[in-house]
Amino acid sequence: MANEVSPLEEPAFMRAVLDLVIPPRADGVLPGAGALGLGGEVAEQLRADTSDGPGVAAGLAAVQASARARDAEGFTALSAVAQLAVLQSQLPEHPALIPGLIRYVYVAYYQHPTVLGGLEQPARAPFPEGFDVEETDPALLALLESRRIRAPED
Amino acid sequence: MSHEPVGVLIIGAGASGGAFAWSIEDLGMSVLCLEQGPWVKQSDLPTNGMDWEARGLGQYAPDPNVRQLPADYPVNSSESAITPVMYNAVGGSTILWAAHFPRLRPRDFTVRTDDGVAADWPIRYETLEPFFARNDQMMGVSGLAGDPAYPYHEPPLPPLPLGRGGNRIARGFESLGWHWWPSDSAIISRAYEGREPCINLGACVSGCTQGAKASTDITYWPVAQRKGVQIRTGCRVQQITLDEDGLADGVLYFDEDGALQEQKAEIVVVACNGIGTPRLLLNSRSDRFPDGLANSSGLVGKNLMFHPVGHVAGIFDEPLDGRAGPDGCALWSHEFMPSDPSRGFVRGYQFQIGRSDGPASTALVGGAQGPVAWGKEHHASFARIFNHTASIGIMAEDLPEETNSVTLDPELTDSNGIPAPKITYTVSENSRKMLAHGLEKAEQVIRAAGASDVVVGPHVRVAGWHLLGTARMGTDPQTSVVNEWGRAHDVKNLFVIDGSVFVTAGAVNPTSTIQAIALYVADSMKRNVERLLD
Repeated sequence: MANEVSPLEEPAFMRAVLDLVIPPRADGVLPGAGALGLGGEVAEQLRADTSDGPGVAAGLAAVQASARARDAEGFTALSAVAQLAVLQSQLPEHPALIPGLIRYVYVAYYQHPTVLGGLEQPARAPFPEGFDVEETDPALLALLESRRIRAPED
Repeated sequence: MSHEPVGVLIIGAGASGGAFAWSIEDLGMSVLCLEQGPWVKQSDLPTNGMDWEARGLGQYAPDPNVRQLPADYPVNSSESAITPVMYNAVGGSTILWAAHFPRLRPRDFTVRTDDGVAADWPIRYETLEPFFARNDQMMGVSGLAGDPAYPYHEPPLPPLPLGRGGNRIARGFESLGWHWWPSDSAIISRAYEGREPCINLGACVSGCTQGAKASTDITYWPVAQRKGVQIRTGCRVQQITLDEDGLADGVLYFDEDGALQEQKAEIVVVACNGIGTPRLLLNSRSDRFPDGLANSSGLVGKNLMFHPVGHVAGIFDEPLDGRAGPDGCALWSHEFMPSDPSRGFVRGYQFQIGRSDGPASTALVGGAQGPVAWGKEHHASFARIFNHTASIGIMAEDLPEETNSVTLDPELTDSNGIPAPKITYTVSENSRKMLAHGLEKAEQVIRAAGASDVVVGPHVRVAGWHLLGTARMGTDPQTSVVNEWGRAHDVKNLFVIDGSVFVTAGAVNPTSTIQAIALYVADSMKRNVERLLD
């Protein structure tokens, strides 16, 4: 096992796992997180996270090992249903796997221009354009006007 | 760099330090502020980039233990039910706050007299009233005059828009006949004093790129500097030093290169927040003050108050504003602020209405229910709440208890080797009952507003924005640390001006009151300069 490659270094494995975490939306507008190409970015962040990263890496290694017990080619050789079963089978032993993973997957996914476009959100930084917000309902302000206290000199 | 002695030395350039520096310069003495953090460039703030949510959760996270920037010191909160948050820079936590700007009410100063618990303040609302008004002008406050929950006051700018979610929730309050009012916010709704108005970026709590949200680095400090106040950044004070008469005569501090420096001063003013201030006083031990400086009462670090927070999110069928708009608050309700013994607890709580999150935070936080589901349910779970929630925060009045405290951690230190603070804090039974009541009432409002579903977060852990009570003011040196104008009972040229001096917490965000106190202390010093050391 000394030469075992970390699952974080296996792009195909990361892509498959991420597609389980966020699969493509049924209407096809939103891709899966793996298909979006986020595996490398997420792996890099996990490597840099000395607190939660090792736990996630250990969990992913257990997933890969379990997959190889079923098929020597490993996780990517399994069907999607089998992949999900393998992943879920490791969660009791590795409870930090999903929380540690989604912390990075969700953020990377939901700030990706493709996803923002699919959500009909502007794919831009908030500044400098900003956003419009609905004004206060004049009927509500009229109600407050009748209740407001007045300045002493009024 | 000049290390000539100065007249007034301020430690900390945040909400209180900035206000105090601007005012005290009129005294005619030289004024220097030492700040452990840097100046923050608005162009560096997260909403300049596509990755604004990631940076808001990391480099600009409110918890210093998550951020771990060079300016930060670690805080051991392993024995605290609430995680304290803060920011260390010129501007302090006003860089990352939501700028919700209520002030304490008159009856918040007379808790002992009115309700038989805690203690009365040695000052009254009326004492601070002119300083509230001056501070509103300096910070740039938007709001609607005439809220019957307060004595009349007039914010200098018109209120911010409620937005779809705020309008919805306001109608909920209306249908129940409960008090509500557009918030006072330290966010400018119109161009003001050279600052451009709010453009609804959202993400106020990771810094305002527009500069519409008040932070003292862009409000008080530029004016104070023009008046002649000096500020030295990257300087972390290790201890306050004493002369042979027991008066403060300066500080020892580490500069940004890690070298220990000495700065002498005639007057020392501590403005390091309700955790940083007791930490510094406890670290300033001497033969004369073996238990920490100005601590003959034993109360330095005791009576820590946070404001426990609960959260109720309503899920609405129609889309709301999402993350757009000031994210701290659109409106408040003081319906359950006054004490009512029939409820089973003393004192009360504030409702604070907020907007919702950006897409990444929505996925991670899920309204109040935790991360949205992963796997095949993910998209449906996300779509149900994204841009479809509005929320009510319940902010409970925390009563002072000596067991809730800031002490020095026996092992943990900052990057300069200075002992770090340790927080010991339990949510009291009174606060728990208050939160339970508030959650129930908030759900009523949310449902009356038309929510199709409700998600309840009974206890928000990362909610320690308000750091109060750990060097409280009073007239009796046995039961307080500083007197009625912020001067330490034990050291007559040492002042505390931040949230540490709060006697009770009220149930509102404290920054308006903290800054009014800082201005009041400065004014008291100027008026009493001839007998300052009597």
